[in-house]
Amino acid sequence: MSDALLPLLIAIPLLAAIFPLLLGLRFDRAGWPVAMATSLIVAGLAGRLAWAVSPASSGPQQFVHDLAGYPAPYGIELVGDGLSAILVVLISVVAVAVLISARTTGPDSNAFYSGLLLLTGGLLGMALTGDLFNLFVFLEIVGLVSYALIASSDDGRAAYGALKYLFLGTTGASLYLIGVGYALVATGTLNMGDMATELAAVGYSDPLVQAAFGFMLIGFMLKIAIFPLHTWQPDAYTYAPDTVSAFISALVSTTAAYALIRIAYDVFTVEFFAANPLITDAVLLVASISIVVGSLLALLQTDLKRVFAYSSVAQFGMILAAIGLQSETALFGAIIHLVGHGLMKATLFMGAGVLSSAYGAQTVADYAGLAKRAPITSGMMAVAGLALVGIPPSVGTLGKWFIALGAVEEGSWGVAAVIFISTLLTLTYIGRLLEALYFTQPAATDDDTGVAGDADGGSIVADGGDTEGSTAGDGITAIATERIVVVVVLAISTVALFGAADPLAAMLDPVFGRFFQ
Amino acid sequence: MSSDPADNDTGGTITRQRPVYTESQVIMTTVKAVIPFVLTYGLFITFHGTGSPGGGFQGGALIASVVLMMAFAFGIESTREWLSNALVVGLGTVGVAIFAGIALVPMALGENFLEYTAYYPVLGDILGLKEYEFVKYGMEAVEIGGIALIVAGVLMGLFFALAAGVTPPNDTTPDTESAADTGAASNTNTMTGDIDTEGANK
Repeated sequence: MSDALLPLLIAIPLLAAIFPLLLGLRFDRAGWPVAMATSLIVAGLAGRLAWAVSPASSGPQQFVHDLAGYPAPYGIELVGDGLSAILVVLISVVAVAVLISARTTGPDSNAFYSGLLLLTGGLLGMALTGDLFNLFVFLEIVGLVSYALIASSDDGRAAYGALKYLFLGTTGASLYLIGVGYALVATGTLNMGDMATELAAVGYSDPLVQAAFGFMLIGFMLKIAIFPLHTWQPDAYTYAPDTVSAFISALVSTTAAYALIRIAYDVFTVEFFAANPLITDAVLLVASISIVVGSLLALLQTDLKRVFAYSSVAQFGMILAAIGLQSETALFGAIIHLVGHGLMKATLFMGAGVLSSAYGAQTVADYAGLAKRAPITSGMMAVAGLALVGIPPSVGTLGKWFIALGAVEEGSWGVAAVIFISTLLTLTYIGRLLEALYFTQPAATDDDTGVAGDADGGSIVADGGDTEGSTAGDGITAIATERIVVVVVLAISTVALFGAADPLAAMLDPVFGRFFQ
Repeated sequence: MSSDPADNDTGGTITRQRPVYTESQVIMTTVKAVIPFVLTYGLFITFHGTGSPGGGFQGGALIASVVLMMAFAFGIESTREWLSNALVVGLGTVGVAIFAGIALVPMALGENFLEYTAYYPVLGDILGLKEYEFVKYGMEAVEIGGIALIVAGVLMGLFFALAAGVTPPNDTTPDTESAADTGAASNTNTMTGDIDTEGANK
């Protein structure tokens, strides 16, 4: 009964989210063990799902679970196929990684761990649902919990960032809901599979259908943070606690982009794009602008977390471009880039978290000479950064290569050129970081004020934890070893996934067969 | 708190105005007279909802409003102490557990998530219900045991959290533990999570 995995994957984290609160009445530190145990169970189930839908197992490569036993067009169904399984595995792996490093960094309250579990459950729900309205419900769960988690820092600016995200994120979800409403009026169904056939019957050039797609697209562009709808993202990522920015930057926009892929190709299908060249061109144009402007803005930032945040705007622009290209190659690249970007950003944000806990480094200038003092973390950040540029061998290479190849195959030379320019710009802003890390002598006075000025420096780093040799010097706050191990493992995974193109292609083959009949 | 919030005479600086509780015979008598009816109406709405107008959400909100009225009449702090933090947290979390339990047991019986008719072979004879009636009473159970409890608990928790206000993070609180909790509580008002951290301060 592999289809039973689907509701379990969503229900277990949501149910487990109550235990940190309930046990918190009696125990102060109940949150972390509960969250960790749940995440490991979820990771195990995710592995089983991935195995079950992969071609390596003999079973069917798509699972459907009808909630409450009501069949598809009437009831809500959960669907697991190769594409959603990849996302589910990514979500569960990043959740475990983030929790490992959260043990010592906090925010150490039981409510925080409840929130993290709710967020995991919501993301898994978005990845597994086969119903457009149900997707909205999970989108809202993810949104609300993200706002709360971002604000869980003591910093007042985090509350401001969360409020901004709340306004814009809720607007995005509402626009998506309006789109779903239009589609419901046009077709009378909410089930994704059923709507695909109904939309074909209504006709793709029907203004109602076009409006439905337009609203959904704009709603998701807000959630994914595509320029010019990205304004919530830099503040949210920068001022959130390090743990939260790693989790959210790696997963929240990623899952929204997955949902957009699902809607664009499974519900509206390539014929919709073929019938509406204007919409296709608009998607490509907006995506190209997002790539270039996001990279340029990243280049202009001084705060490192802000550099990474704007870099996400550019990277997701690339994924949106791949969605608009309607090429099998480009979409394959987009999915690889979704996974790769999630892992690379998790590495970079966690690495930045380690260095800011240890040395109070916030701006790129603060990173001057840190490679000598923290060689492992700096090295891994360099690996993930170069992967983000697309230097082979890395998962970043694969993603960009396939998207660019798809653009060339489709004759969209403009998009291919934009991707090339963005690679150079990415190299520039990652180069700034590398230059600071490896080739700049730390200015002693600057460094001291940087550490002393950060009042929270001592309180972030908590109990025990073995001191890593490289970070022990100069009376600097000790960092728990496991945080560095997580960064190393994630960085290595971004390199190791370079060899994963074939298994991923085999896994996505049945899905792409449906997308591009 | 660095300064007494109720003290309005600190010229120049703006202090947070905490509404001071005033005992009012009119309000207390009115609330005493009204709450039995509101509670009954809340339960009435809760217990309807599958086959008739009503529902767990609306009913839960009405039940929570009983506590809100008592807080206005008899003072927020004393109502909070009377109700106890554990009860508020318990309502929300146990509601989720009941809901999830009702949904997950059919899976253990080999049926789909939330499939109420899966209970029929097990409980049909004991309860003397027909198979189709399990759908109705299953929904009723989710509504009463799940949604009404969750909504009542969360609304009470949000009310008490908002009434307690936000302690500025730069505050010179003696122990860092409660400062961290306040930071979380003040910012997680969008979810149920604030209930316990909030109460931990008091």
